[in-house]
Amino acid sequence: MSRITTFVAAFALCAAAHAATPFVDVGKQEPITILTPSTPWLPAFTKIVETYEEQTGNKVKLDVNPFGAVLEKARNDLRGSGGAYDAVLLDTQWTIEMYEGGFLSPFADIDSAFTPPKELLTYDDSGYWNEQKRWRTSKGGKLMAFTVLGNVPVWYYRTDVLKDAGVAPPKTIPEVLASCAKLNKPPSTYGAVLRGERGNPIRYEWQQWMLSRGATVVRDAENGDFTVTINSPQSKAALDDYIEVAKKCGPPNPGAVGQGDVIQLLSTGKAVQGQLVLAAWANFQDPKKSAVVGKIAVVPLPRAADGKTAAVIGNWNYAIPKGISPAKKKSALAFAKWLMSYDAQYAFAKAGGIPNRTDVLASDLTKDPNFSWMPAYLETLKTARQELGYAEGAQVEQALGLRLNQALIGEMSSGKALNQAAQDIKDIFEKNKRKTGLGPPLPE
Amino acid sequence: MIAVRRPRTLAGWINATFRHWSLLPAVILFAALTAYPAVDLARMSVSTITWQGAQDFWTFTPRRNFEALMSDPSLSAAVVNTLVFVAAAVVVEMVLGLALALLVGRMVRGKGAMRTIMIVPILVPAVAIGSMFKLMYNYDFGLFNQALAVVGLGPVSWLGSPSLALWSVVIVDIWHWTPFVFLIMFAAVEGLPQDVIEAGHVDGASPWQLLRYVTLPLLMPALTVAFLFRSILAFKAFDEVYLLTGGGPGTSSELLSLHLYRVFFEQNQLGYGALLSVLTMVAILTALALGRRVARKVRR
Repeated sequence: MSRITTFVAAFALCAAAHAATPFVDVGKQEPITILTPSTPWLPAFTKIVETYEEQTGNKVKLDVNPFGAVLEKARNDLRGSGGAYDAVLLDTQWTIEMYEGGFLSPFADIDSAFTPPKELLTYDDSGYWNEQKRWRTSKGGKLMAFTVLGNVPVWYYRTDVLKDAGVAPPKTIPEVLASCAKLNKPPSTYGAVLRGERGNPIRYEWQQWMLSRGATVVRDAENGDFTVTINSPQSKAALDDYIEVAKKCGPPNPGAVGQGDVIQLLSTGKAVQGQLVLAAWANFQDPKKSAVVGKIAVVPLPRAADGKTAAVIGNWNYAIPKGISPAKKKSALAFAKWLMSYDAQYAFAKAGGIPNRTDVLASDLTKDPNFSWMPAYLETLKTARQELGYAEGAQVEQALGLRLNQALIGEMSSGKALNQAAQDIKDIFEKNKRKTGLGPPLPE
Repeated sequence: MIAVRRPRTLAGWINATFRHWSLLPAVILFAALTAYPAVDLARMSVSTITWQGAQDFWTFTPRRNFEALMSDPSLSAAVVNTLVFVAAAVVVEMVLGLALALLVGRMVRGKGAMRTIMIVPILVPAVAIGSMFKLMYNYDFGLFNQALAVVGLGPVSWLGSPSLALWSVVIVDIWHWTPFVFLIMFAAVEGLPQDVIEAGHVDGASPWQLLRYVTLPLLMPALTVAFLFRSILAFKAFDEVYLLTGGGPGTSSELLSLHLYRVFFEQNQLGYGALLSVLTMVAILTALALGRRVARKVRR
């Protein structure tokens, strides 16, 4: 009996010791505050932060804000005297402004020996900044941030409905249209839903289709050629595809469909397919929120008939402000090192997050039905890229997002919308004295 | 002729000047919190601000900001929509608010309860109102379309139709702010001199004549105040349109304040955003001055 007791006690001690062992030993650090967005993956991030605190005894405070407020708070803090935040989570679109403004500390300036793990995904070098080239690239660039959550859009579909209808998950746009012809029964069921809201929603979603056709917004931004190419025949074909699918397969108000609507339509079972970011996955797995638990799967986005699979990355980057004390910077980097570790990313995935390491994405988790999205995610990442990676990105997004929406709601033809967008975008670059120009106009 | 007595003693001088000097803290506070930001905004409106090495650099570029104003593709739609929004929302709110105030004013019992009920929409945060109406306007699951379905009418794309989106926002604004007009008008109705109205009755005036020639002229000061307040607030409407339509579809519900937000915060064009802010303030002040002149003429 006493042997058993001793064994149990020893086992419990070992288990406790193991539980208390940090994934990475970062030592005692100063408390830090992280500016954090209120996003679908926030619960997972909160949980992983709690694990960090339990394991290391170091304190991390999350200042959680709605999407738009994060940028405002980051600007106010970083442009001012700073000090409110020791780390900031920034949408990749906003990072250019922070890199160019010189508001962030390169990780190597905090710890010259620091190198990120080779398994860490770079998401098209979104965390690197080459100051001379004014471009996000690891070639000659410094590591300014790393991705906490790398989002890409994927194609969600109802496994049961498609199976019953004898329809395979679509790989091309024509297959999407063919599936819609069978599955679309409005107003009770929509064959497929796409975001069409003006601004970021339609710009982001449509650009996947644009890239699939091989079209670009500008000729070669990386090398300083900002000649606007958005009004190309390839772009027009992509926009025509997008409008056709949105109108033939989705609700009759395509220009007002936002992310919340797509999630709502899919989770209530009213839509059977849809293009949506992977971070929304958890919404369909919770029986309290979803009527389709266990009936949803994802595949990489369908491509144009003669195009390639493509995706635009929309990630959240963890960066450390320049204006804080060295001790706070060290502490913020310590948390980053811990968070980049295999075990932390494994735990993050288990908590509902999207891990940023290839080894976690290829781990035993892939066998778990809750993580059935992992193969599609890895496949999508092979061709996924950053877009609008220049200082004028936010303005370009607004200009493009307006014209695309106007084409979708029928206010103007796709050709006119893209010509107009091209002119608007050229004006933006011209004001900033970029080398720019305009391709031949499309027939309107 | 009025004789001004000058203080002859030190105590008298202190007494006479203290009341002026005592205003100094308030003046300093006003300058710090209002005048300085206003001057800074004006300076920003003729500048381009860039950031390098965590430092801000201001360059004097008034022409550039005016060029941005002239070439802004959404500005004209924002101005027209704002004028339509202000005119439609304020007129309906004034008529409804006045009508409700007159009706409740005639009630013998339950006036307090009515006043309390009417306050509720004002107390609800704009964010909650936006979310609530977004759900009610929802094409597939919304209350309005479900109600229409009950009477055999097809679903309406309240927020997705370019011709309806702005009006859907106007309806929400009316729901939100009619109680504000009601409260001002109700206080005025309660304060109407009953002897004048009774005299009208005695003279044989019809209810319409009483309203047209007695009640409305007496309510004119309150109507003017309510009208000016509501016009200014309607000019600045943001939350509802931001949450309901985001200015879309297209530019069909783009309002000036929302456009300003986009320019300032989403596009990070600080100089042009400041110029738009200054021009919006000037427009509101001009409208205010015109409104006061018209009101004065009407009162005469």
